[in-house]
Amino acid sequence: MTEPAVHVDALLKVFDVPEREAGLLAATKGLVRRKTRAVRAVDEISFSIEPGEVVGFLGPNGAGKTTTLKMLSGLLYPSGGEALVLGHVPSKRQRAFLSRITLVMGNRNQLQWDLPALDSYELNRAIYRIPREQFGAMRDELVELLDIGDLVRKPVRNLSLGERMKAEIVGALLHRPQVLFLDEPTIGLDVTMQKRIRAFVADYNARYGATVLLTSHYMADVEALCKRVVVIHHGRILYDGPLTGLADQFAAYKTIGVALENGNADLSQYGEVIHREGDWITLRVPKADTSSVTARLLTEEQVLDLNVEDPPIEDVIELVFAQEKPE
Amino acid sequence: MNALRVTWLFFKLGVLNEMQYRVNFFISVFQAAIALVTGLVVLALVYSHTQELNGWSQSELLCVLGIQILMGGIIRTAIQPNMTRLIEDVQEGKLDYALTKPGDAQILVSVREVRIWQVVDIVSGVVVVLVGLSRISTDVGPLDAAAFAAAMLFGAVLIYCFWLVIATVAFWVVNMWHAVELFDGVFQTGRWPIGIYPPWLRVGVTFLVPIAFAVTVPAEALTSRLDWQTLLLAAVFAVVFFAVTRWFWRFGLRRYSGASA
Amino acid sequence: MTVAPQSAPVREAGRVRSMVDLYLTTMRTAVAQQFQYRTANYFYMFGMIAEPVIYLVVWTTIADQQGGSVNGLTAGYFAAYYIVWTLVRNMNIVFGAPFWEHRIREGELNRDLLRPVLPLHYDIAYFAGWKVVVIVLWIPLAIGLSLVFDPSLSPNPQQIAAFGIAIWGAYLIRTMFQESLGMLCFWTTRGAAVFDLWMTLELLLSGRLVPLPLMPDWVQELSRFLPFQWAFYFPIETLVGDYSNMALVRGLLVQLLWILIGLAIFRVAWRFAIRRYSAVGG
Repeated sequence: MTEPAVHVDALLKVFDVPEREAGLLAATKGLVRRKTRAVRAVDEISFSIEPGEVVGFLGPNGAGKTTTLKMLSGLLYPSGGEALVLGHVPSKRQRAFLSRITLVMGNRNQLQWDLPALDSYELNRAIYRIPREQFGAMRDELVELLDIGDLVRKPVRNLSLGERMKAEIVGALLHRPQVLFLDEPTIGLDVTMQKRIRAFVADYNARYGATVLLTSHYMADVEALCKRVVVIHHGRILYDGPLTGLADQFAAYKTIGVALENGNADLSQYGEVIHREGDWITLRVPKADTSSVTARLLTEEQVLDLNVEDPPIEDVIELVFAQEKPE
Repeated sequence: MNALRVTWLFFKLGVLNEMQYRVNFFISVFQAAIALVTGLVVLALVYSHTQELNGWSQSELLCVLGIQILMGGIIRTAIQPNMTRLIEDVQEGKLDYALTKPGDAQILVSVREVRIWQVVDIVSGVVVVLVGLSRISTDVGPLDAAAFAAAMLFGAVLIYCFWLVIATVAFWVVNMWHAVELFDGVFQTGRWPIGIYPPWLRVGVTFLVPIAFAVTVPAEALTSRLDWQTLLLAAVFAVVFFAVTRWFWRFGLRRYSGASA
Repeated sequence: MTVAPQSAPVREAGRVRSMVDLYLTTMRTAVAQQFQYRTANYFYMFGMIAEPVIYLVVWTTIADQQGGSVNGLTAGYFAAYYIVWTLVRNMNIVFGAPFWEHRIREGELNRDLLRPVLPLHYDIAYFAGWKVVVIVLWIPLAIGLSLVFDPSLSPNPQQIAAFGIAIWGAYLIRTMFQESLGMLCFWTTRGAAVFDLWMTLELLLSGRLVPLPLMPDWVQELSRFLPFQWAFYFPIETLVGDYSNMALVRGLLVQLLWILIGLAIFRVAWRFAIRRYSAVGG
């Protein structure tokens, strides 16, 4: 068995957050003695990622996703526990480590603003010490894959948000990193662009066997790319497994949509009515009861149309996030 | 008069706003102290090699330094913040907010910003002037004091007009940031008697950037070397320049609002 | 074309050659970018000449009043001193505390820390490229000033060569110390106060205000043990004064010494700064 690309064991990050009350008196007192509160942003999480996996990190704001990514990329020291990426301790920030990873953040610029992206790529070539032939080939390949062609000759500030994101991604991958940390890469982009970038990431992963850690708010990103998701909330991992199993664990129900002859019928005996629109009623029933409820509806009511669906992932996630912080 | 009341209201608002940033006070004091020490060191250095500069003794030049700091304080408290904000608003298209408020736009854009902590400069300038005066042999009579006050007023008005013209140019030439840096540099010429400058520079800092009127003329009043022709010239120049500035401002405003020039 | 997963990383070029490559590429990027901003650069340089021109006029006046010279320094010397001053002043502008504050606050530090190079290299290289543009822009300015103020300047070839090296030495000395000062920004956002204090000391002790021989003796003594004059007065003097060859070489070596001292201080400060940054995050 090969060594995992990312290995995290009881990783802990505690921040001392100053507590500040309103008011003049509190502010003056605050000048002399500062009260702080220890916040466990990442609370002893453990997981392992094999080379070549594409893993999605899901969690609401403040869940600890970005903090985890920062610890894995070496920007933050852990307060406890251990993290290993490609066999390196990230916080040591060794050259061999930094040359094999990349962190792409959705709304941050890594390219020079006033110059064409090509010039920034040259700079990256020099920084990562990429041999010229290899650099040229990689750059051309990436430009073609992302279909940005001549845009790399225009000053970055003249590009639209989507075009800029593509150019950023090219820049981030020139040194052919083996681990990609993608922090909200499709944020603020239109649907076509999002699809494009998802397709690209999948392609890159297939070609180079790179390991990808992706955080996103968009379920579509996760559904399209990640077979495995890690759900983080309040600094703890709530779920780590296949995407399909998520619903099973947290939302063991299905939704039944039914159109009746009699639109005003009261269906509460069959299950939880969650939506009514015209003649269409949506019911939520426990998974185990799905077939029996369906059968009863068909026999006992005048049904014009009926369909059975898995709960939308967004709803599942909402349920997961709505869980209160365990004390 | 409504204009005065509006002015006072905005000034008060500006002060209240600034009062929130107490740290700025300490920083202002610190910076004022440093600027003062530097100025005094230079003065001491110069006078360690000579007795008088262009006819001005060390104590007299101390007064000049004080007036320059004092005037600089007035500029940085009340004039510059408004003008830089005006330039910024024009650049970012935010001027419309000011224009849709009732009242004269010129008054509004001229008084809404106040850097109250720069008052520290005014205070330190006054102190320096007083120290300098105490060491001059000749006393300051009531006539001189009145002339000084008048000269300061004309000087401040002229600097205000100069700044407003620069800011109005921003309607056409959007990028005026460099003007700010240039002004600070040129304002330093006020520390020394303008007599020492080559003629072309002398004319420049008198009529182009009215530093001579802002600093030297009041200093001359205080050290009893002002002749009434110069004061009269300052008064006339101030009135004329104010009128011209007002006209230019309204011209620029009409242009900005899309009316034909 | 597929590459086996976890294959050997892309082969990296040799170390020294890569460093040179990095510096040259960064410099080229800086030149391209700053050339785009040439108007802004020009305005800035123009605004900066007010200070030396004022000093020049003041001292020339004193010299004239005293029959031609002050402490042996003639009006022509002052003109030369303050004109060369304008170039040295520009060479002295480096990546310092205000830039560090901006870098940390705007999150750019994260980007820079992810790169497998010390940000110091990038800073030095980028500003060096910028200086090239500055030097080119300075020449017409110098010519203009010379026409107006009539400096007495007649350096021999060794002095010119020494000057060429000394201005870069000044640049590096100032870089090292300013970068070290910038590390304070990791602990406080009020670094401005310390920065101002340092700048004032520098103003008084470096030869920026007046040529050092005009300062009282105790100040000159004090200056000798500080790096300031080696970033300002010394480079100007190589061109404007009359150093012997021995003195030139000795001065350049002292510059080198100060660069190394500054570098050592920076490395220590950097290590502490990074430790702090990585503990509390950006």
